[in-house]
Amino acid sequence: MKTFNPKNLMVSAMTAATLSIGAGGVMADDHPIHFGGIYILSGSAATYGEFAQEGINLAVDEINQGGGILGRQVEVTFEDSQGKAATAIQAARKLAYQDNVDAMLGLDSSGVAQGMVPTVPELQKPFIITHAATPDVTGNLCNEFTYRISVNVPQNQKAAARIAAKTDAKRWTTIGPDYAFGHQTWEYFGNYLKELNPDVELMEDTAFPRFGAEDFTPFINGVMDADPDGVIISVWGGDLVNFVRQATNLGFFDQGYELMFTVGAATEVLDALGDRMPEGVWLSTRYWYDAYDNELNQNFVKAYMDRYDHAPSYNAQGAYSAIYAYKQAMEAAGTTDGPAVAKALSGMTMEATNGTVTFRKADNQAMVSPTWGKTGPMHPEHGIRTLTDIQVFDGEEISRTPEETGCSL
Amino acid sequence: MKQNILIGVMLVAIALLIALPWYAPFFYIFIFTEILILGLFAVSFNLIFGYTGMLSFGHAAYFGMGAYTTAMLLLHQDWPFVYTLFAAMALSGLLALVIGFLCVRLSEVYFAMLTLAFGMMVFTIAHSWRDVTNGSDGIAGFRIKEFGLGLDLTIGNPTVYYHVTLVVVGIAAVILYIISRSSFGMILKAIRQNPERVSFCGLNIRTYRLASFTIGGIFAGLAGALIAPFLRVASPELMHWSMSAEPVLMSILGGTGYFLGPFVGAAMFVLLETWITSFTESWMLFLGIVLALMVMFFRKGVLGTFLDWWMNKND
Repeated sequence: MKTFNPKNLMVSAMTAATLSIGAGGVMADDHPIHFGGIYILSGSAATYGEFAQEGINLAVDEINQGGGILGRQVEVTFEDSQGKAATAIQAARKLAYQDNVDAMLGLDSSGVAQGMVPTVPELQKPFIITHAATPDVTGNLCNEFTYRISVNVPQNQKAAARIAAKTDAKRWTTIGPDYAFGHQTWEYFGNYLKELNPDVELMEDTAFPRFGAEDFTPFINGVMDADPDGVIISVWGGDLVNFVRQATNLGFFDQGYELMFTVGAATEVLDALGDRMPEGVWLSTRYWYDAYDNELNQNFVKAYMDRYDHAPSYNAQGAYSAIYAYKQAMEAAGTTDGPAVAKALSGMTMEATNGTVTFRKADNQAMVSPTWGKTGPMHPEHGIRTLTDIQVFDGEEISRTPEETGCSL
Repeated sequence: MKQNILIGVMLVAIALLIALPWYAPFFYIFIFTEILILGLFAVSFNLIFGYTGMLSFGHAAYFGMGAYTTAMLLLHQDWPFVYTLFAAMALSGLLALVIGFLCVRLSEVYFAMLTLAFGMMVFTIAHSWRDVTNGSDGIAGFRIKEFGLGLDLTIGNPTVYYHVTLVVVGIAAVILYIISRSSFGMILKAIRQNPERVSFCGLNIRTYRLASFTIGGIFAGLAGALIAPFLRVASPELMHWSMSAEPVLMSILGGTGYFLGPFVGAAMFVLLETWITSFTESWMLFLGIVLALMVMFFRKGVLGTFLDWWMNKND
């Protein structure tokens, strides 16, 4: 073992700042299992990080009340990625070498994930991605320490293409953030839709506003001038809230377009928009709290809403599930040793709130489906739009084949 | 006597830096790699600011240029690492020469504004030219394996990379020090103090200013070339104006009047950032307070104030 165990002041200072909520306190003979979470905790997408923190804290408390993992209590330290790859990489180094975490989870942005994932094997700690969707991290950049529990872009876009192919829309364009996620969404959506329906036109007039742009007016006007039949919109986070408000004012929703928001049913966004999210548009989410009728999900949604007073988002659910994935993997491995836990995750099947989830051996991607649905009336209690005509697909079927991923594990 | 003590302190500091991996927590290898790289960036800036008296607000353009050069050569060409350093210096120097040529004819705030404008132009190109620079995601996923020069160094190992950085920054610092002490460096100082008088002596001020600006750009490029393999990504943020502000802050923190001032400033900057962000997200607020106090009461920076006090002390 070449892991380092710094016994200096910083560790105790960090531990004090850590959210360690133990029911029975730390066992005398064993230090707690330590997780490190890297999320966007500042800026326009900060609510995503907050929801992820809520999910993790809920899972950690439940586990600690139930006796911990391997008889040890659990604690977690959070770092802010600021949505920048360099910051996230430094944060991961800090967590691995300074805080000595046993395992890591997180990442909201595809661009950050692309930069960070190649560096994960150096740290010798398992990393479960709970949100970032770029195909590359379980594709050509894959490695034996990196896993993803959330839906990726190809899964989401294969589902989107199936829905789009059933509509009458023939001319499609996109509005998406100007980085990996926006561009890859359009690429996969276009390719899958062409396969299903070779007659569709993928328009040249696309709009890629900067992530974090305040003003979407020129992009909305540009798309309206091009007069498409359908628009796939991958704007997300605080940007999506701004986008919907500005689009409403410009009459974008009155044009009769077929509109598909690829991450629209994030409850962070629905909460902020309330009834300003229009009715009758397609929204997707990696997880919809109302779509799964199993006991785990019922308990999770109830506990979450009792504690935080709003519906859990996919980011909260992904982060929550990742902690339980680690619990199962650590118990299977009988240790918290990084390489051993990473190995235990490979091919592992777990019961999660969104059904039975398997990390595929070939690329470490969870075989999961997005939930697509059309916005319906407001929910009488939750203060957000309901989803109607809910569509969940078979996770394995809508995933890329192992050969398509370009990953060789 | 005092000179000897200073040299002794320097030698001890260098020995401590070399031996760092054997006594400091592993994480501090990353911290000190960053300090060394940003220190070189700040020293290269201070040649233009502290010595020649020109406040450049676009110095990150050359830093970022170096980072992109190294990242792209490693990604596409698989060059040995050490050759990418020279390529980065050459391209950053060229960029500084072109931009400097257009900027040095102005002075004071006009010079600062123009360098800022060019800096943001370079940033925008890196941010928008997706086919070449990969847009806001930057260049990542490059591999660092071979050092070059027939040396068998695993530079992917953080300890090895720290020592490589220490040697490269050390050589660069010595070269910059020699430049600053040469007659050329003296002329730069004279230009800062009284440009009219220098030009009455028959010297072309613009040429000297341009030379200073270009040398600063070359070494900023070298610092950038070191930061890309360290961060494992070259992204547009490295060229942003807020990155240009960092060497300004570091130079003021450490002191612009002494050659090593910006290194001290870089160390303070990075260490404060590391420590304060462990407790609060708003570390910039603390930095602001520290900077305001420095500018109000310790104009010469931490190193400058201390050395001046110590050298003048009667004993």
